[in-house]
Amino acid sequence: MLARIAHELFWLGRNVSRAELTARMIDGVFQADLQGRPDDPSGVTLSWDGVLAIMGSTATADSGRPSRAETVVLLSTDPANANSVVASLERARDGARAVRDVISADMWEAINSVHLGLADAAVGVTGYGGPYSFVSYVKSRTALFWGVASRTMLRDEAYAFLDAGGRFESADMVLRMLRVALPPGGESSTSPRDGQALALLGAVGGLQAFRRARVAAPSAAAVASFLLYTRSYPDSVAASIDAVRDALELADANPRASDPVLRLSRVLADLDFRGRVGGRDGTELVEVCEIVGNELTLADRDIAERYFGGVAAPSRAA
Amino acid sequence: MSSTAPVGTFDEVFDSDGTPRAHAEQLVAELERLGAESLVAAGALRDAIFMRQGITFDLTSSDGAVADRPFPLDLVPRIIPAAEWRTIKRGLAQRIRALNQFVDDVYHEREIIRAGIVPWKLVASRSHFARAAHDIRPPRGVYTHVAGCDLVRDSDGVWRVLEDNVRTPSGISYMLENRLAMTRLIPSLFAHFRVRPIDQYPALLHAALRWVAPVADGDATIVVWTPGPANSAYFEHTFLARQMGVELVEASDLVVRDDVCYMRTTNGLARVNAIYRRLDDAYIDPLEFRPDSLLGVPGLIRAYRAGTVAIANAIGTGVADDKAVYCYVPEMIRFYLGEQPLLENVTTYLLDDPEQREAALARIDQLVFKPTGESGGSGVVIGPAADERRLEELATTVRRDPTQWIAQEVVRLSTVPTVSADGTLAPRHVDLRPFAVFGEEVRIVPGGLTRVALEPGSLIVNSSRGGGSKDTWVLDDEHDYDGDAALTASFSPPALPDLRLGSWTGQAQQQQQQHRPPP
Repeated sequence: MLARIAHELFWLGRNVSRAELTARMIDGVFQADLQGRPDDPSGVTLSWDGVLAIMGSTATADSGRPSRAETVVLLSTDPANANSVVASLERARDGARAVRDVISADMWEAINSVHLGLADAAVGVTGYGGPYSFVSYVKSRTALFWGVASRTMLRDEAYAFLDAGGRFESADMVLRMLRVALPPGGESSTSPRDGQALALLGAVGGLQAFRRARVAAPSAAAVASFLLYTRSYPDSVAASIDAVRDALELADANPRASDPVLRLSRVLADLDFRGRVGGRDGTELVEVCEIVGNELTLADRDIAERYFGGVAAPSRAA
Repeated sequence: MSSTAPVGTFDEVFDSDGTPRAHAEQLVAELERLGAESLVAAGALRDAIFMRQGITFDLTSSDGAVADRPFPLDLVPRIIPAAEWRTIKRGLAQRIRALNQFVDDVYHEREIIRAGIVPWKLVASRSHFARAAHDIRPPRGVYTHVAGCDLVRDSDGVWRVLEDNVRTPSGISYMLENRLAMTRLIPSLFAHFRVRPIDQYPALLHAALRWVAPVADGDATIVVWTPGPANSAYFEHTFLARQMGVELVEASDLVVRDDVCYMRTTNGLARVNAIYRRLDDAYIDPLEFRPDSLLGVPGLIRAYRAGTVAIANAIGTGVADDKAVYCYVPEMIRFYLGEQPLLENVTTYLLDDPEQREAALARIDQLVFKPTGESGGSGVVIGPAADERRLEELATTVRRDPTQWIAQEVVRLSTVPTVSADGTLAPRHVDLRPFAVFGEEVRIVPGGLTRVALEPGSLIVNSSRGGGSKDTWVLDDEHDYDGDAALTASFSPPALPDLRLGSWTGQAQQQQQQHRPPP
């Protein structure tokens, strides 16, 4: 297939995923932020400045602590901010238009009609209501998109790139959240920031999955290792990377010579090893997150170079 | 907004001349800013969310039809200042420790009876006194793992205990759902307060159950035992099982072999170490209690007696929340703990005593009469609200079996402003049920379930009879939040690479990535 089309599909997946995860994160942090954390007076690491850091944004970094209202609007409905949910959805729609002949009509309709209810749902974001309606709308529309995609789209190269994009973005976003939320310098497992672990789980929607999978209390380290290593949890970093690798293997004519496939396989093997052999205390978790984060940046470049003709690849310096 | 609390009633938000109390000033201002229209809109959203999520209860209307209604959460939260909460918390912890010791005592040494403080005749005649529990000491000596005491404030504003619930108090799921709903519906109300979180309750309960579960090594298997989906509190049972990440079992899932309790799984029988049961003693084991119980597990008491399984709450705790025993709780606190009670009882008359009985019956139209073994408000007769025929029947019943009745002075429950159908605010009467968990120590989640009577002047707060509930905020004043800001400032999040936008040309990408100036 055309490199340009593969690129559009990959980024369609990424933008839809990014919109959903950003919305979930806003919801999780918003709720944790509303209530005091007397058990956690020291570091609100996954708070609004943390959220901005996750989004790679430095826009308000020098104007003091960003306020709750400012950040919520900036990241949800602000069309001028390229990292807002609305901007991601808008890019997804533009991208879908470019591949309208490739994706199914249902998928096009799902993504094209997002903006119809968006204005209504966004009212609360600036008013007294908070982001709840907006977030639940975005969650249901993105779920609809992935739902019809899984039922109506031929499992060909096109689907593989769409899927790879969606899962790549999940891995990237969850990893970004972990890198910001984990205590710097790797504190002990009984970190006073454990309260934030709940917010983090809430932010990725994994609270119940965690409780069913682990007996441990949701401490920062327990949550981080769950979100990093647990293959049976679909939004864990390991499960997402696994899915990206599988998708690229399908799409590639010669996967055994593919840089991104080889790189991701190595990252996965490393994650498996670390998950089994130690790798669960604070210091090591921070280290693993950083390594995997760097590898993902390289994999992103590999994917662009191998499949998209090197277009829009991140610079090697990054 | 104005408050016209009935004379002689304590309003928690406005003082007697109608000005907001200091801790509620910001709340009143914010409610005024929102106005009636926003409150009506938020109410509609609340009902839609609750219906969608299945947070409902069955309401039986006068013609007998049962309707599924969204749980009636009032949008005005109730605020409890930190200092008041400290008293409540300590008072309750003290009370629950005493009740726990009392249960242990009456099934073992009976010291309080030999000391002449509580008559044995009274204890042994309680309907929830369980002979089967005699001489059984549950793991780690904890009986009242989960407790919910109902608190009220009379016209003087003093907190008093109205009744104790140490069997299977319910309402915790509504308390947690209320908070979640409030953060979604009117988050702006939270803006001026630091409200202590309550979402750690399932973790506390889980930890307490782990603490009592008899295990040699490895992790304890804990289950929540429900009578089944037909039970009115089934939502709460599923909620707790889901929040704790444990199995929700019914009787048919459990089996006792050789004094050990197991559950049936796809991998065969699996040992169960602790059971949080949500059904009464009478139904749990047909071999020991009601032989006709289909909800029970034969042999469970044998396993319990052998100490291989913890049951929460323990068998026979009902004797401690009996309403006649309630009168003796302050004495228990002095006897077992050597402390003065921090929370008082409501004035109560034991009708077994001929003198008190006749004095109470002479004022039958001024007092509240309660059957001692019931819970959840069933069988209660409110003298001032009952007609003459009902009162005559009551007098006959009480005289026939006075040991099963108590009488209490009517408490003019305190009021809190509450949203009416048109969005305006009016004072309504409230009570409070805080929830305590007894594991390694007594832990009480800040706040509790505030129930509110939605009819003007009504003192009936039960949701089955038209009552609603409120989110309950315990304020946190123990931390200086400016100090927090300084701490937070020392932390700077790691710099991550910018999010990529992936445009095909690369030109547009750079333009879009230009950050807009700070607002």
